[in-house]
Amino acid sequence: METVFWLSLVVVIYVYFGYPLLLSIACKVARRPVRKGDYEPSVTILIAAHNERDRIGRRIENCLWLDYPKKKLQILVSLDGPTDGTEFAVWKYASRGVEMVHSKAHIGKPAALNAGMRRARGQVVVFADARQTFSHNAIRRLVANLADPEVGGVCGELILLDETSSETKSDVGLYWKYEKWIRSMESEVHSLVGATGAIYAIRRELYSDLPEDTLLDDVVTPMRIVFAGKRVVFDAGAKAFDDVSCCPAAEFARKVRTLTGNYQLLRQMPKLLVPWSNPVFCQFLSHKLGRLLVPFLLIGLFVTNVFLWGGIYSWLLIAQCCWYFFAVAGHFVAIRNVVPPAVTVEEQRRAA
Amino acid sequence: MKRAFSLPYSFVLMNWAAVVAFYYFVSGRKDVWFRGKLAHSHKSPRRMSH
Repeated sequence: METVFWLSLVVVIYVYFGYPLLLSIACKVARRPVRKGDYEPSVTILIAAHNERDRIGRRIENCLWLDYPKKKLQILVSLDGPTDGTEFAVWKYASRGVEMVHSKAHIGKPAALNAGMRRARGQVVVFADARQTFSHNAIRRLVANLADPEVGGVCGELILLDETSSETKSDVGLYWKYEKWIRSMESEVHSLVGATGAIYAIRRELYSDLPEDTLLDDVVTPMRIVFAGKRVVFDAGAKAFDDVSCCPAAEFARKVRTLTGNYQLLRQMPKLLVPWSNPVFCQFLSHKLGRLLVPFLLIGLFVTNVFLWGGIYSWLLIAQCCWYFFAVAGHFVAIRNVVPPAVTVEEQRRAA
Repeated sequence: MKRAFSLPYSFVLMNWAAVVAFYYFVSGRKDVWFRGKLAHSHKSPRRMSH
């Protein structure tokens, strides 16, 4: 019982504190800087979208405004069976060079990406979602990293904005900052364990078709690049902007999807678990697998603590009870301040 | 003061998400792919059905 308790505690602490600490030490002793340079390849911005009639115009305008030679920039929208007329909103931009791949069937994002990649001409492909926007120099910042032949992919920084259009200070924002801090250190040591779907770029030749049921295209593609012997790095200078989720419950839905994708990843790419096949095995184990294990370890920690009473165990159980009591109280605070899930920050702003 | 409640709540919610994700994965639910469906039914994931 005691062994299970202490083992669970040590692993939970390692995942959230020990691993970042080890990474920061590794950054000091084994840092691998990216050899950035003046590099101006042809670029395709690939936007996969389903029903995005209201947002796609803003997204395309943002792409047309970016600081990159128009002759070298292909803007390609791959539509996955839209039913709200998104295709008509995209057609309006055909005269300005925007291209479209239109699938009438709603198959899923991976199929839309596969179809888009078959039409992409750029040496580098930048993946983007319809919801976010890029900073003016985002493309230049991304491709500068690809001047380094060791680098196969680059991930930009996603900034979550609150209703005042400044970077959010909510818990979701805090969690996201913590994630980005870990990612930047992983990048300095070798590679990220996955990218941000909102903004990442790869060399086109490194892409291979995704299975249609893939949940995390932004993890599968970068991991394939790592397996191909290249690095996937993080550049905080290339920014994408998005609205923060309206409430923790909305973030919960997003998180369930991401974590289900992590389980799927283990089935799709079992060699992630083989140390000699996976160049970022330690990062994967600590960052991805660790996060999947923590909830079960927390349950084990609580249950074993109930049976271990006395001395330090009593204090630890009281601490755990307080933590979960505060969590339940936080739930009631959250549902008192809840915003209807269908109302996004953008919609609130418009209403105001 | 508000953070004293919201931080443990967010932490527990995120970990509960991993448990729900495990259930979705082992039960082979496909609707998790469709972002819209999940986002609109996040209040009660159990109501999601084919």
